[in-house]
Amino acid sequence: MKLVWITLALVVAIFLSFAIEPFISPIASAEGARVYLMPVFFCFGACVLPFPCMLILALEAGILSDFSILHIVHHATEAIDSDTLQTISSSVEIPSGWSILFYLAFGSICQGVRPLVLRGHWWLPALLSALTTMTHLAIQFVIITMHRFTQDGLFWSETVAWRIVAPGLIASLLTLVLVVIATIAENLFTVGRRPERDF
Amino acid sequence: MRKVNIILASVVVLFGIAFMLLGTNTAQKVQRSIMGMMSPFLRTGSAVQQGLGAVGKGLKSLDELEEDNKRLTKENMELRAANEMLRNTQDENNRLREALDYRTRSLFRLIPTEVLTRDASTWWNSVVINRGFEDGVDDGTQGGVPMTVISDQGLVGKIMTASKNDSAVMLITDETCKVGAYVEGTREKGIVSGIRVQEGGKPELHMSFLSKHADLKPGQKVYTEGVGAVFPAGLLIGTVKSFKSRELDGEAIIEPAVDFSTMSDLFVISGAK
Repeated sequence: MKLVWITLALVVAIFLSFAIEPFISPIASAEGARVYLMPVFFCFGACVLPFPCMLILALEAGILSDFSILHIVHHATEAIDSDTLQTISSSVEIPSGWSILFYLAFGSICQGVRPLVLRGHWWLPALLSALTTMTHLAIQFVIITMHRFTQDGLFWSETVAWRIVAPGLIASLLTLVLVVIATIAENLFTVGRRPERDF
Repeated sequence: MRKVNIILASVVVLFGIAFMLLGTNTAQKVQRSIMGMMSPFLRTGSAVQQGLGAVGKGLKSLDELEEDNKRLTKENMELRAANEMLRNTQDENNRLREALDYRTRSLFRLIPTEVLTRDASTWWNSVVINRGFEDGVDDGTQGGVPMTVISDQGLVGKIMTASKNDSAVMLITDETCKVGAYVEGTREKGIVSGIRVQEGGKPELHMSFLSKHADLKPGQKVYTEGVGAVFPAGLLIGTVKSFKSRELDGEAIIEPAVDFSTMSDLFVISGAK
């Protein structure tokens, strides 16, 4: 029952993080890097919850991260007559759904270290949320770059590096805060009746 | 790994693959539903943000309010008069264009809107506005072209996806938003687009396919040309900042007319008057 409540709380937290993220201003001193809250909740959940619960979080995180920023590119327009115009074609720059597979893969890695996390290796969720955030942004950047490959060739700059690395570092710090809050909450609710952990 | 876990993981993988195979229109439908679910939260967040931003700013004395009211009434009268004059000039211009067998230009019908959230992603430049298809906003899936979004300063972008009550707007600072444009007082025409990753400070635009030896000076205004059917002609994009000659063509750096970091009141061009 406790697991169901934790999963539900994380499902709500992931949803709300998508509603909150747009209101957090980019960090000017980190070349406009953004703060991502969703990977914090996802990695924490994937490291402490059983496999089926992780799948629910992966599905939700994947759907929301792809469809909340679906980038449509219009290619051409055609005039039907002098007053009516119609778009000929448009495409999605990054195929929606890839994030589901991405979070499933990273969630599975988190499941691999779950026994260690439950034994008290508190730093593992932080490390994995940093890796998840950075890899997700890096893959997005690579896909866009391949899509928009021009005569200028591959595009890379210090700003790109900052925008990939800084959100990862921030996510890891936030995960540590979440782990501390979760540990305090667990201690509060299980005073005098600490059950044996099931791996 | 337990058998049930493998089956569940396979179902999730199938979901992922199914979503990847969705066509653009279907993907937009899913996005509309998600934007619909997010809408109340975004509106609440936006209201809270505006409320917090207004703390200490909105307190004015009665004298100051009266002063503001007088100034705004006078400005309103001046603008009405100027608008009427422009309307007459527009009619005259259209009559002359008609005589010369040119296509007539119309005044725009505008849908006023406000920015709900801005730039939620790292690699794309977009904002969400508080008007959707129920208010007449079209993203090009209703048989037309994506509608243009402007502010009182100039061109902002075009509608990317319109949900019931909100719409995502692709800004002209995005690399995939391309606008046919001309430079004021010259015969120079080119394509204006954003830069993939803007490096700090105010965003800049690139205007490419200009002639190699174009005589452009900083401060010259750049307007939409009206080709490609999405953006109407004559909308201010920005001003020329610099020009460089390349191997095959010329490229100008354009400073956008709109301040994208502070813009809040926008208008969607829903058609001709």
